[in-house]
Amino acid sequence: MNNDDDLWLDALLDDELDGAASLALQRRLAAEPALQKRLDERRALRDAVRAQATRHAAPAQLRAHLEAMLAPRVSAPASADAGATRARVPLRRAAARPWMAAFGGACVATLCTLVAVDPAALGWHRGVVAASLQAAEASEAVSAHTRALLVDHPIEVASSDQHTVRPWLSARLNFVPPVVDLAAQGYRHGAHVISVFVRPAGSDAANGSEALSVVRGFNVIERTQGGLAFCFVSDANPHELQALADLVTPLAGK
Amino acid sequence: MHDDAQGRFAASVLPHLDAAYNLARWLVRDAHDAQDVVQDALVRALRHFDGFRGGDPRPWLLAIVRNAAFAWLGARRPGEVELPDDELDAGLALGATPGDPETLAIRRAERREIDAAIAALPIAFREAVVLRELEELSYRDIARITDVPIGTVMSRLSRGRSLLADALRPHALRALT
Repeated sequence: MNNDDDLWLDALLDDELDGAASLALQRRLAAEPALQKRLDERRALRDAVRAQATRHAAPAQLRAHLEAMLAPRVSAPASADAGATRARVPLRRAAARPWMAAFGGACVATLCTLVAVDPAALGWHRGVVAASLQAAEASEAVSAHTRALLVDHPIEVASSDQHTVRPWLSARLNFVPPVVDLAAQGYRHGAHVISVFVRPAGSDAANGSEALSVVRGFNVIERTQGGLAFCFVSDANPHELQALADLVTPLAGK
Repeated sequence: MHDDAQGRFAASVLPHLDAAYNLARWLVRDAHDAQDVVQDALVRALRHFDGFRGGDPRPWLLAIVRNAAFAWLGARRPGEVELPDDELDAGLALGATPGDPETLAIRRAERREIDAAIAALPIAFREAVVLRELEELSYRDIARITDVPIGTVMSRLSRGRSLLADALRPHALRALT
């Protein structure tokens, strides 16, 4: 018996021998009990390994991340008119996941979900009095926020690099929302999800204005700054929400 | 990439995610690093999906995972992938271990002992064993994935199994006494 015998016995076990080679080996096995015993040992080893060795299943979070990465994207309207189109961009609170750290980036990513909303469905048109518009908008923002919470894999872009996130957004929008890395402020994926909606503000919008409201139990902050209208929605307390708003879009004089 | 192509890619590749992770996990021997490798491999695979000409996507994907794992190890733990030729030759040239009756008691080896024995194999033998015993791929597919001739696959697999038998024998003996 030699090393080559093991090789042929393994090939027989693996059903990789052609007919002639298999037949020749079968004849030898019939004539050589030691060889047959060797075959039985190799089979026992193979069976033990196959039965007991761990097959590592892909972790759920890896699968979720890859499914999200490969999911069909929602595209923004092609002929977007800055005055009439509202692109809703909830910026998820930054999440630190162990595997992200392993990917070599900073721990915190800016996580974005983008949903293009038909402006007509929102009753958005010029001439609506400011107060009712604001109420409708806050209500719609809360609805969008709760819908986003129901989505299994709401993360469209997971990156700690704003040079990844910003181009992703600008490819889908006709304006550029601010992209901020909140790692230094200690934001982590936790109990509270904060949705941040951004749209170009109307020409008549007062710069630096801010309104706080509570809609169906959610705290809502609406703020206009630098030609963009922001809406922050969360079940986090108003102070926390305000702190986040200040990080994303610092009001002049603050 | 166009969404249609991305959709076809997802449909081809995601069903084999467990196999991809299993291979990466056995090659880099760390759960977090394996996720890193799989993520990297899928990005590479997506980029080269145009080059996939149909057929079974699993060997195609596993070849990319394997290359990603070797690239990852080469950059971070080069000692694990630079298997010296003489060591490999020595591994292949060792004579057959004599058949002991105790070998059959390998059946009794604990899962963790078998896992440890596989993890301790030099990577060239380890990948052959994992692809054959855990993924149940043919010699031809293993040859494609590991980029060596079929004869080399046979040698490495056989030698890997002999090394496993040697590693597990003391446990088997202890289990008997």
